[in-house]
Amino acid sequence: MMETTKITKTSSSVQWSKLFRSYGTVIAGILIIIMFSVLNPGSFATLDNAINISRQISFLVIIGIGATIVMSVSEFDLSIGAMASLGGVIAAKIIASGGPLWIAFVVPVLVALIIGFINGWIVTQFRVLSFITTLAMSTVLGGFTFWLTGGATIFENIPDSFRYIGQKSLGSIPMLSIVMLLVTILFWYVMTQTAFGRRLYAIGGNESASRIAGLRVKWNKNAAFALGAALAALTGVLMASRLGSAHPTAGNGLFLQAYAAAYLGMTSFKEGVPNIWGTFVGAAIIGVLANGLTIMEVPTFMQDVITGVIVIAAVIMQRLGRNAQ
Amino acid sequence: MKKALSVLLSIVFIVSLAACSGGSSSKDGAKNISILTPFLSSVTTNEMVEALKKQAEDHGWKANVIDTKGDVGQLASRMEDVIASKTDAIVIVSTDPNQLKAQIQSAKDKGIPVLGCDSGYIDGMTMNATSDNTEMSKMVTTHLFDSLGKKGNLVVLTYRAHPGVLKRTLLLDEMLQQNPDVKKVTEMQVEVPGPIESARKEMESLLLANKAEGSITAVWTGWDEPAIGAAQAIEASGRKDIVVIGIDGNSQAVDMIKKGSPLVATVKQNFPGMAEIVAQQLENVFQGKEVEGTELYAPASLITKDNA
Repeated sequence: MMETTKITKTSSSVQWSKLFRSYGTVIAGILIIIMFSVLNPGSFATLDNAINISRQISFLVIIGIGATIVMSVSEFDLSIGAMASLGGVIAAKIIASGGPLWIAFVVPVLVALIIGFINGWIVTQFRVLSFITTLAMSTVLGGFTFWLTGGATIFENIPDSFRYIGQKSLGSIPMLSIVMLLVTILFWYVMTQTAFGRRLYAIGGNESASRIAGLRVKWNKNAAFALGAALAALTGVLMASRLGSAHPTAGNGLFLQAYAAAYLGMTSFKEGVPNIWGTFVGAAIIGVLANGLTIMEVPTFMQDVITGVIVIAAVIMQRLGRNAQ
Repeated sequence: MKKALSVLLSIVFIVSLAACSGGSSSKDGAKNISILTPFLSSVTTNEMVEALKKQAEDHGWKANVIDTKGDVGQLASRMEDVIASKTDAIVIVSTDPNQLKAQIQSAKDKGIPVLGCDSGYIDGMTMNATSDNTEMSKMVTTHLFDSLGKKGNLVVLTYRAHPGVLKRTLLLDEMLQQNPDVKKVTEMQVEVPGPIESARKEMESLLLANKAEGSITAVWTGWDEPAIGAAQAIEASGRKDIVVIGIDGNSQAVDMIKKGSPLVATVKQNFPGMAEIVAQQLENVFQGKEVEGTELYAPASLITKDNA
């Protein structure tokens, strides 16, 4: 009799702990939302504000997915922030000089694919740290952006058509939120339901084993870098569209937050593995915190402290999850 | 499991602590003013924000300062947040309102006034307080021309691509026409960013090209940074016959004027004055009165060795 009880107890506790490890971040996110809602029912917990948040997190989600793809092959791309700035500037330059709308959206992404590929090529060909390579690339891109803009914001001659995606809504849903969802679903599919995605995770999990198994490690890694950069550039273009202008450092602040979102995401759904929906949840938590704390009039410096502490906590939780496995 | 739970609970605890320290919104009846800027770390912006906070306190308003560290995209998001929190007024400081068009419109739709402090004015805003660039240029250029006896050889270092600097330079063009004995040796565009270094290099080359005494008598610059660079180049060359003027009154320039460098005059923008104007106009808005104008100027003052 006693034996039976003991066994039941252990297995339920294992289940709880598994649930917790898999969905801890999601639970924390929900708790945070409930807390803000209780404290500010009139301003936080409104449909308007929910729509507001969905638009605000769209940039972070998209660039965060880019970071996640690169992280899936166990590399880092620190140039995504500078890439976003450059992407926005290229788009604004094209549209301000009278170029067609689709060119303004496509060219920055193509440029980014090439730059991302170069990043990957340098890392895989010369077996150098992606950390340093992409940090250096970030400086190169920053310099290039300043050269293109002369350091000034581009806002003249930008037609209303360019602002459409960034500022308009379909019904009451912002176009940006729709784009964000489409990108998330697309890359969730690519990363989990296609052979390409599985190859990336295999390489990230064990590179030498993948090589022995006959995977084209270099090519796949280059592709991951290229996709990451392309999503960063897309983020930059969308930001320019939202602001109706392009600032030479507009995307730089996103780079650290993108990794924060990806790390937060590693603690949800798939334990310890960078994953697309996890990054989405991570970005949403960061977005909700920024929105809620601003509504509560918490000073900006405090917001930074809290966001940083939460990321540290997420990393610890991810570690605990791994140890428990 | 226990460890994970404790980490989770501490997150929620920290957030709730911060949220509670944030204070409740305007239930006590005081007006809430949201002050937004991406450039709180810039000396002049900081001066304006501090002055605005002081003004808010004097008027019995609650000021909430939001800084996004140079990130204008973030600024747009935070502006949406304060609109959602039904703040009573928004003041944007040192921010180009063209980048916040959509947010300014949405604030207007919700009946929240948006005021600018040295930001520029666009449709949908209530007003903006800034300096009159033409007037500032007139002050310092008149001072320079008078001290030269209305004749001499002038080097112009400017940056016509900047709308404010352009206004200053256009006034110079006008005064050069009225004073035919002041000859323009050359006009060079200073590189931005890095104006001090750029102006310094340009000036070094110009000094080499114009070695004869009196071939350059003065350097007119569009703002203080190129003035600093030009003055450094002249000082290094050891030439005593050339004076430099700037505009803005930044602390390094004022310090140089005090120490007797070739930089002899600048015009100090009145940043606390701008904050004062914004507060006055906001008071008008709260009382249901009209603002006195959409673009109001804080009077600037000439700084020379006598008052630096």
